Amino acid sequence: MAKISPKNIAEAVYKATEGKSKQDLTAVLKRSVRVLENKRMLGKSEEVLNALQNIFDKKTGTVRMKVATAKRMEHPKRSKLEDEIKIKYKAQIVVGEFLEKEELLGGARVEVRDEVLDTTYSNKLHQLEKFLIQGK
Amino acid sequence: MSNHIIENLRKEIEAFKADTKTEKVGHVIEVFDGIAKISGLSDIKSSEMVTFQNGETGVALNLEEDTVGVVILGDFSKIKEGNEVKATGKILEIPVGDSLLGRVVSPLGQAIDGKGAIKADKTYPIEKVATGVVTRQSVSEPVATGIKVIDAIIPVGRGQRELIIGDRQTGKTALCIDSILNQKGQNMICVYVSIGQKDSKLRKIEARLEEGGAMAYTVIVSAGASEPAPLSYIAPYAGVAVAEYFMDKGKDVLIIYDDLSKHAVAYREISLLLRRPPGREAYPGDVFYLHSRLLERACRRNAKYGGGSITALPIIETQAGDISAYIPTNVISITDGQIFLETDLFYKGIRPAVNVGSSVSRVGGNAQIKAMKKVAGTLKLDLAQFRELEAFSQFGSDLDESTKRQLERGKRAVEVLKQLQYSPVKTEHQVVTLYALTKGFMDDVPVEKIKAFEQGLTDYSERNAKTFYKEIKDTKMWTNKGEKELEKVIEDYKNSFS
Repeated sequence: MAKISPKNIAEAVYKATEGKSKQDLTAVLKRSVRVLENKRMLGKSEEVLNALQNIFDKKTGTVRMKVATAKRMEHPKRSKLEDEIKIKYKAQIVVGEFLEKEELLGGARVEVRDEVLDTTYSNKLHQLEKFLIQGK
Repeated sequence: MSNHIIENLRKEIEAFKADTKTEKVGHVIEVFDGIAKISGLSDIKSSEMVTFQNGETGVALNLEEDTVGVVILGDFSKIKEGNEVKATGKILEIPVGDSLLGRVVSPLGQAIDGKGAIKADKTYPIEKVATGVVTRQSVSEPVATGIKVIDAIIPVGRGQRELIIGDRQTGKTALCIDSILNQKGQNMICVYVSIGQKDSKLRKIEARLEEGGAMAYTVIVSAGASEPAPLSYIAPYAGVAVAEYFMDKGKDVLIIYDDLSKHAVAYREISLLLRRPPGREAYPGDVFYLHSRLLERACRRNAKYGGGSITALPIIETQAGDISAYIPTNVISITDGQIFLETDLFYKGIRPAVNVGSSVSRVGGNAQIKAMKKVAGTLKLDLAQFRELEAFSQFGSDLDESTKRQLERGKRAVEVLKQLQYSPVKTEHQVVTLYALTKGFMDDVPVEKIKAFEQGLTDYSERNAKTFYKEIKDTKMWTNKGEKELEKVIEDYKNSFS
């Protein structure tokens, strides 16, 4: 028998919950948890939830973005960045998570899906270090 | 001085431009026994290099629906769950260049001989499709190994793949080292790939090659016994990538894989950890392809494509002489012949312990020089008949004259083909000795004096049969004039010998 992956469970949950009323939804979700327990997959619940999140995001055209900067990013810059991401990834909605990390020194690190654009000073210094050590 | 350093550093820093491009990243979900499962990296290619947060390199081998199975080429103990992994967009490659000559490098091209960093000209991919049919030509030039039994009976040609197979401690590595030592002045580059060998053994080999002046034209690629399995897995591919660099420059290369049994074991370990289905002897289904794609890269290019060649001498270690095990049969079927070494012969004092009956060279005969062909033509048959008669003669003492003669000749042939380690013999000397043997000049020399006779004969003939030696060296041909001169010289020597 083929092994069930967290992605398979998430797809099943999504299908089972599609178009259900609030009352039915509670029952379906309870049963889903029982399936996870029966299949001894409760330990993988985090992966199932992530997979479910991805399915919802795909259906709703949502793109999740993680932005890390050394100093707090002001609102106009945030919305400008969100607009850029919307265009680049052809997204309907952009959900941004903005973090402050002093160790980045300056610039920003933007993470969308499995792509990263790192313009932080700490990254540039790291590249310079490598360049000086390797001579290339 | 200090100003000069500061100025240079300032220039370097000013010339530096940081890359700001989008990178593909993933995250480590699981790490175990040199394998990492990565999430993300959706566009990664098979065999693409990845770099971990701590600077270690890995290769993507398993591309699954949600995850990527990566083998870690180095210390995996510092890689943690959640670490970032970057795709490099490059297929695994090794730095190559003339500066590799005389060096010992890891399969990733890093110097491990303590002689400083290697300045490479360019990089070559480790995995590459073998050169095509159009660019190839038949094997027609010999590789002079300096080992009489090989050069005379199982000749190896440039571009050939000849397997060296035998149990442990039968002299497989010694044959290869002798072959490397004999390449001095033969316009040949040598690559010795050590897979899963003890560092002490490698050190001895390096020292021996250094002593024989062979490191000047040799590169050693080593994945030691203490290195993780992925390094052993990529070592032969790294070695052949180095060989291809020299071949592309029109040079002839001799590559030795020591040994492919350990390579198969390393690949089995990786495959099982990656949860690939096991097959016969728990090896994965593609273990044949593992070796066939490697050995297919040995070839001889035609003049239009540079004319270089790669001659491969893979080694396989058998268990209790079982050549019908999985990996030995696979490699036997891939190669163009095999040199079979036997423990019994080794302990009988017949060294190199080559079993002439089971050994064969399928294409090497075309590469043998005329002179050698002439003198060694019937040697294999004579030896086979000798072995049969030897077994038969143990049952009775009443033997006819011709049988006795054959037995005596056989004993002398066995004696002539014995050779000490690290003492390769020049082709011209081999021709002289074998001529004396096959023409019966040694028939009345006592067996225990054969070695002394041979030594004296080669020295004497080199001094007195100059025309013959010149012909063999320059034209590799055999003429009646040369033969007459040689015959006379041998007769003269024989008279003085007793």
